[in-house]
Amino acid sequence: MRPDVILRRLLKGLALVVVLGWSLIPIAMIVVSSFKADRDIFAVPPRIAFSPTLVNYAGLWARWGDFFTGMLNSLVVTAGATILAVLASTMAGYAYSRFRHPALAGSAFFLIFIRLIPPIVITLPLFPAVNVLGLNDTHVVLIVLYATFFVSLGTLVMRTFIDQIPREVDEAAFIDGATRGQILRRLIFPLSAQGMVAVAVFVIVYAWNEFLFAFMFTTTRAKTAPLVISEMIGAAEGVEWGVLFAASTVQLLPVLLFVVLAQKHLVAGLTAGATKG
Amino acid sequence: MIAPVQALIVAIIFVPALFVFWLSLTESSFGQRTTFVGLANYATVLGDPYFWRALRNTVVVVLIVVHVELLLGLAMALLFASGVPARPFMLAAVLAPYAVSEVSAVVMWRYLFDVDIGFASQALKALGLPPLEWAIDPTHGLILVALLSIWLHLPFTFVILYAARLAVPGELYEAAQVDGASPWRRFRSVTLPLLMPAMLIAMLFRYIFAFRLFSEVWLMTGGGPARQTEVLAVYLYLEAFRYNAFGDAAATGWLLVLASLLLALWYLRRLYREMFAAHAS
Repeated sequence: MRPDVILRRLLKGLALVVVLGWSLIPIAMIVVSSFKADRDIFAVPPRIAFSPTLVNYAGLWARWGDFFTGMLNSLVVTAGATILAVLASTMAGYAYSRFRHPALAGSAFFLIFIRLIPPIVITLPLFPAVNVLGLNDTHVVLIVLYATFFVSLGTLVMRTFIDQIPREVDEAAFIDGATRGQILRRLIFPLSAQGMVAVAVFVIVYAWNEFLFAFMFTTTRAKTAPLVISEMIGAAEGVEWGVLFAASTVQLLPVLLFVVLAQKHLVAGLTAGATKG
Repeated sequence: MIAPVQALIVAIIFVPALFVFWLSLTESSFGQRTTFVGLANYATVLGDPYFWRALRNTVVVVLIVVHVELLLGLAMALLFASGVPARPFMLAAVLAPYAVSEVSAVVMWRYLFDVDIGFASQALKALGLPPLEWAIDPTHGLILVALLSIWLHLPFTFVILYAARLAVPGELYEAAQVDGASPWRRFRSVTLPLLMPAMLIAMLFRYIFAFRLFSEVWLMTGGGPARQTEVLAVYLYLEAFRYNAFGDAAATGWLLVLASLLLALWYLRRLYREMFAAHAS
């Protein structure tokens, strides 16, 4: 091999190692440290070889029962927001894909325009409104908020996917006497399943991890896992690193696994949403 | 069929946003009658040195974060496009931070940069560099916030640019090579112009989203010490919920909306034309 080829390979290998380290070291760090006893967590320099222990997970279970309720709340909220957002986006995506009207174009423009409004701005009026409606600290608030902040992106992604289904398919069904609802349920939903998965991936990752709205609108009963972790960070008696690592690991691993498995859909959704929007 | 989507958006985002505008023109706090004060809240906010401090912090962090992300994202997209071993694994690794919540990311980076035990702090020390005193020094605090934001959002920028790079037809590079173009020349005359639209889109989206920066700062420094690391969203939150100045907070909110609109003006105009051209036919 020529020396410059070897050099180029070396540089590329080095670049890949740097990229891998940058992406994975922070994650690996807390996952590995969650199995370390305190003396290993506080060891300087950090210990690679240590005897793994579940003491932090036991501590999490014993002292932060809240966290597990939080995980359950996160699950409920994520499932609710995902179903709502995917259904609403698919219906709207279908309409935008199949019908042409200036009013429709206007409302599509409105969809994108609305994405420019920062979430924190609307918490100002929503906070008292939610209190008046007695919805404070419920799953419903978070479900509706999370779904709303993703229906505009979801609609754009669904339109891109539904555009790929030939119009003749639904026209033929229409002539055979199918109603719009039937066409949507029997044809569009199954044929655009890929797009629906792509939208679901976004909403799931967002709803599972979201902090701002959970922080504003939940206090005890509907508190999500990220909020409980944030309380651990700010705990008055000082940070218990080990327990904090255990909680972060439990919160992180399911969604990390999910993102890795749904990688293809995530990439498809991101590109459809950003470039076609 | 667009009713559910539009209903959600109008009820949850549009109407409240308009209401914020009304709030920004009034003086009110919880449970008290509101009085109309015109633009007085805007005057208060614009006369508040903490607002300017927050604005400056936001702009500096956003500029650094978005541009570093674009550069790194572009470099990574080109690296991946040139062929990498174990591609599915490498892609999964690069996308991993996308799955991490802001809260967990703060845990990771606080631990990495813990002055006493942090891996990164020790690495800096081994290199003879001073550690990041992020809890004490506002500049260091913002550097850590910027690092964390870049880490969290790089996957997004990378994916957009990588997809755009894969869409460039290979024949263009072959043709350039036949014409004897150097690698740098190929980059400048083929890659860069063809990736430009995707770069602009990624940059725009990241500008708009980075501008909302809240959780990272709130959980990392809480805006402190002495309110010196506040960003606009944190300033807004504190005005509303700690200092009970809803009017000022609402005014800040509308300034945030206006800034986002201004950033996106070019994009909106292009989109508006495209959409009406496509839909009117």
